[in-house]
Amino acid sequence: MLEALWEGLLLVLQWKAFGFMLLGIGLGFWVGLLPGLGGATTLALMLPFIYTMQPVEAFAFLLGMHAVVATTGDITSVLFGLPGEATSAATVVDGYAMTKKGEAGRALGAALASSLVGAIVGAVALAAAIPVVRPLVLTFGSPELFMLAIVGLAFIASLSGEGTRGMVRGFIAAGLGLLLATVGQDPQAGVARFTFDTLYLWQGLDLVPVLVGIFAIPEIIDLFVRGNSIAGNAPPGKVAKGAWEGVKDTYRHFWLTIRCSLIGTFIGIMPGLGGSVAQWMAYGHAAQSAKTPEERKQFGQGDVRGVLGPGAANNSKEGGSLIPTVAFGVPGSTSMAILLGGFLLLGLIPGPDMLTKHVAVTYSMVWTIVIANVITVAVCFLFLDRLAGITEVKGHRLIPVILVLVYIGSYTSNSHYGDLLVTLFFGGMGYLMVRAGWARAPFVLGLVLGKIAENYLYISTARYDAAWLTRPVVLVLIAIALAVIAYPFFQARRRG
Amino acid sequence: MARKASLALAVLILLAAGYAVFAAKGWQWKAALFPLAIGIPLFCLAAIEIAWTLAAKEAPEEPAPNPALPWAWMIAFLALIVLLGFPIAVAVFMLVYLKAQAKEGWLFSIVLTAAVWGAFYGLFDMMLHLPFPAGWLFEWLGLA
Amino acid sequence: MNRRQLLAAIGLAAVAPLALAQSFSGKTVTIIVGYKPGGGYDATARMLARHLPKHIPGRPAVIVQNMPGANSVIAANHLYNVAKPDGLTIGTFNRNLPIAQLTGVEGVKYDITKFAWIGSAANESTILAIRADLPYKTFEELRKAKEQVVIGSTGPGANTHDFPLLLKDLLGVNLKIVSGYSSSADIMLAVERKEVDGRAGSYTSLLPFIERKLVRPIVRARTTEPGIDQLPVDESFAPNPKAKAIMALRSAPEQVARPYVLPPKTPPEIVKVMREAFAKAISDPEMVAEGKKAKNELEYTPGDQAQKILVEVMNQPKDIVQEFAKYIKFGE
Repeated sequence: MLEALWEGLLLVLQWKAFGFMLLGIGLGFWVGLLPGLGGATTLALMLPFIYTMQPVEAFAFLLGMHAVVATTGDITSVLFGLPGEATSAATVVDGYAMTKKGEAGRALGAALASSLVGAIVGAVALAAAIPVVRPLVLTFGSPELFMLAIVGLAFIASLSGEGTRGMVRGFIAAGLGLLLATVGQDPQAGVARFTFDTLYLWQGLDLVPVLVGIFAIPEIIDLFVRGNSIAGNAPPGKVAKGAWEGVKDTYRHFWLTIRCSLIGTFIGIMPGLGGSVAQWMAYGHAAQSAKTPEERKQFGQGDVRGVLGPGAANNSKEGGSLIPTVAFGVPGSTSMAILLGGFLLLGLIPGPDMLTKHVAVTYSMVWTIVIANVITVAVCFLFLDRLAGITEVKGHRLIPVILVLVYIGSYTSNSHYGDLLVTLFFGGMGYLMVRAGWARAPFVLGLVLGKIAENYLYISTARYDAAWLTRPVVLVLIAIALAVIAYPFFQARRRG
Repeated sequence: MARKASLALAVLILLAAGYAVFAAKGWQWKAALFPLAIGIPLFCLAAIEIAWTLAAKEAPEEPAPNPALPWAWMIAFLALIVLLGFPIAVAVFMLVYLKAQAKEGWLFSIVLTAAVWGAFYGLFDMMLHLPFPAGWLFEWLGLA
Repeated sequence: MNRRQLLAAIGLAAVAPLALAQSFSGKTVTIIVGYKPGGGYDATARMLARHLPKHIPGRPAVIVQNMPGANSVIAANHLYNVAKPDGLTIGTFNRNLPIAQLTGVEGVKYDITKFAWIGSAANESTILAIRADLPYKTFEELRKAKEQVVIGSTGPGANTHDFPLLLKDLLGVNLKIVSGYSSSADIMLAVERKEVDGRAGSYTSLLPFIERKLVRPIVRARTTEPGIDQLPVDESFAPNPKAKAIMALRSAPEQVARPYVLPPKTPPEIVKVMREAFAKAISDPEMVAEGKKAKNELEYTPGDQAQKILVEVMNQPKDIVQEFAKYIKFGE
C-alpha cells in the first residue's frame, strides 16, 4: 500500500497533472464562491474538455475543481449569509452570526482551517478504507440507510431551540420539512403529490432556491433596516484581525473538528444519503458539545464551533463519497455522478479494479484532494483580511449585489421563474422564523431527509417485510438514534 | 412581534398540515402513507403550539423594524425580471437601487452596475448559456 | 411550364443551399435539453453540439441549454408553443413523452407527431438481467421459478420499472418489484448486496456488470443490438394480442431513444438540412470515436421514420390505451 501511495503522489506531482490541478482549483474557487454556479453543473460542462487528457491529468483537473468548491462555498456563507453551495448552508447559521459581531476574519479562518482538516481526514479515510471499503458499503443496505436517515433526523432534537418549547418548535419545523419533501411525483405509485396542477412542482422542491431564500433573505431584510454595514454593530478594527484566531479555534476544539470530519466522511461513504445531510449532523453534534445552557444558547448567535463542525464535515464528505463512486460505480451525489461519467470517458471502470489494478490512480485522487485544499486555504489566507473587509462596507452598497446573487443563484437550478417565487416564499417563512425565534436547521434537515427516509422505508419493508428491524446494524443505529435524541435531556438533567 | 410571528407560523403550518391530510386521503395508500404519518402529528403539534402561544403572557419587547420597504424592493426586482428579462432587470435594478435607496453618486452607481452586470452577463449568458426569456413587456410590444 | 419559369426554378434551386448557408452563418443554433446537465440526454446533446457545426451550411455555433422540469414536459411544451420555427432552436427530451400524451397526462401542451422531426440520435434496447449466481439461466427457467425474484427499480415511468412490471402482470413471471432506488447505479449496489436479484435497463448501462459477471441477461424487448440478439423477446410470449400490443406500445419509444425535433411548422428545407447534418455528424469518424470512448454510441434514425413510429403509437385503439394506462404511468 505504501508503494501505491508514493506512486499516487508522484503521479500528481508531474508537471502537466499539477498544472491542470491548478487550473481546476482556479475554476473551483469561483464555482464554490458564487451561488448558482453549482459544482455539479460546472463539472458537467467541463467533461468535454477532458477527452484528450490522460486519466491522471483529467482527475487532477476535475478533482482539483471539485475539492475546492466545498471550501470556498463556506466563504460566501460566512460573509453574506448566503449559501455558496447547498452543502455550505449550515455554515451560515453561526458563521454569518459571527460576521455580524465583527468576527468575520475569525469565522473565515475557522471555516477554512476546519475545511482543510476535514479534507485531510476525508482523504486519509479514503486511502485507509480502500482495503475494507467493499464489505463496509455492502453491509449498509436499505434498512441501514433508512435508520441512518432516522439518526440524522434525531439530530433535530439537538438543533432545536432551548427547552421543551424549543423542542416542540423544532419538531414542527422538521415535520414541515418532511412534508414538503413529499411534493412531487412519488416513486411508488406515480401519484403527483401536492403539485397543485403545476408542471413546475412535478419533480418536487429544489433545495437551492429554498436554502437561498430561507437563509439569505431574512439577513438582507435585517441589513436593510439596520442601514449600517454587515459588521455594523461591532467595535471597529476587530474585523480583519481574526483569521489567525479562527485557526487557533480549530486547534482549541481539535477533537470536535476531527469527530465532525469523521461524521462527514462516514455519511459521504453511504451512497444515497445525498450531499447536504452531513453538514447538519455535524452542526448538531457540535451543538451537543456545549456544556451549559448558556453555552448552548450561543449556537446560532456566533459560536465558532458552529462553523468548525459543518466546515469540516462538508469537506470530509467529499473524500468519503469518492469511495462508493470509485469502488462500486455508485455515485453519492450529482457531482459524483458526473465524475463517474468522467471515469468511464477515460476508460476507468469503477469497481474492484480501481482498488487493485489501478489503485495508484485512486491514491492520486487522494493526494489531489489534500494538495488542492492546502493550496486553496493558503491562497485564501493571503487575502482573507481583504475579504473580511467587505463586511465593513456600507450595507446598502452590498444589498443589490447580494440580491442579484440570490436571484441568479436560485434561477440556475431549473432556469424557471418558479424558483424565484420559491425563494421569496421561503424567504418570507425564514423571516417569520427568525422573528419568532424558531430554529431553521430542523426544517432543512427534514426537507433533505424526507425523500430518503420514505424511499428506504418502502424498499426495506417491501423486501424484508418486518424482519429488517432485527438486523444487527439496524439495532445499533436505533440505539444511536435514541441516544442522540436523549442527549440534550440528559445534559439538562445533569446540569439542573 | 415574536409572539405574533410564532402564532402566524403555527397557524400557517396548521393549515398546511390540514390540507396535506385532506388531500392525501384520496390517494392510494402507498402514496398517502408518509404524508399522513407526518401530517397528522404535525397538525397536532401546531395546534399545541398555537394554544401555548395564546396562553403565554405577552413578554415586553422592542418593536421590530418595519420590513415593508426591503420586501417591496425584492418583489420589485422579481417583477423587473419577469417584465424586462433577467439581464436588463439586473442592470435596471442595481442602478435604481443604488441611486434611490443607497443614495450613491452617479459615478459609483454606474461603475458598480456595469461591473456586476458585466460579470453576470459574461458568466451566466456567454459562458453557461442559461436561457433568459425575453421580458413580458418586450413581448407585448412585439419587440421580442 | 415555359422556359422562363424553368430557368427561374433551376436558378432558385441552385441558389437555395447558398441562401440557407446565408441564413445559418453567423448564427447560433440552440439545443434545448429537457434535463439538467450530467444525464444521458444532456451528454448526447453536448456531444452533438461539438460535431454539428461543420455539417450545417454556414457553420453556425451550436450551444446547449438546459430546461429541466416535469421530466422534460416543460421543455417539450416550450418547443411546441414558444420556440420560433426558424431552425435556430432544436429540442431533445424524454423518449417517453409520447406515452405522456397518449395517457392524457395533465400539463401536456404538445402533439408529439406535429413536431418537425429531425430524428433519433440513438436506439435503446431494454433487457432484464438477474444475478449470475441465481439458478435461472434462461427465461424459461425464470418463468418456472417457484421462489420470487426481487427486481429493483427507480419508479413508474422508467424502464427499470415498466419492463419487469409487464413481465410480471402480463406474462405471470414470479417477480416482486421494489421501487424507490434513487438511480440505477444504486440498484446495482443492491444487487451486489443481494438485497435485490436483478434489474431491467438499457443494455449499454448493464454491459459493464454483465462483463463483470455480476448479472446475466435473460430477456429483452423488441429493439435489439449485437450481444443480445439471441435473447428471447418479451412480446413473443404474450398470451393474447392485447398483451402483445401493450408490450409493443411500451417499447415503441425505445426506437426513438434520443429524440431531436424542430418546432412545428418549421420550413421543410430547414428540416431537410438538419436531418442531413445530423446524419453526417453521427457518421463522422471523429464523433464515432468519441462515442465509443464515452460508451455513448449514436445511431441515426431519420425523422420521417421516427415520426411514423410515433404516429402509430398515437393511433393505438382506445381499449388498448386504456388497458395500457392501467399498468404504465408516465414518469422518468
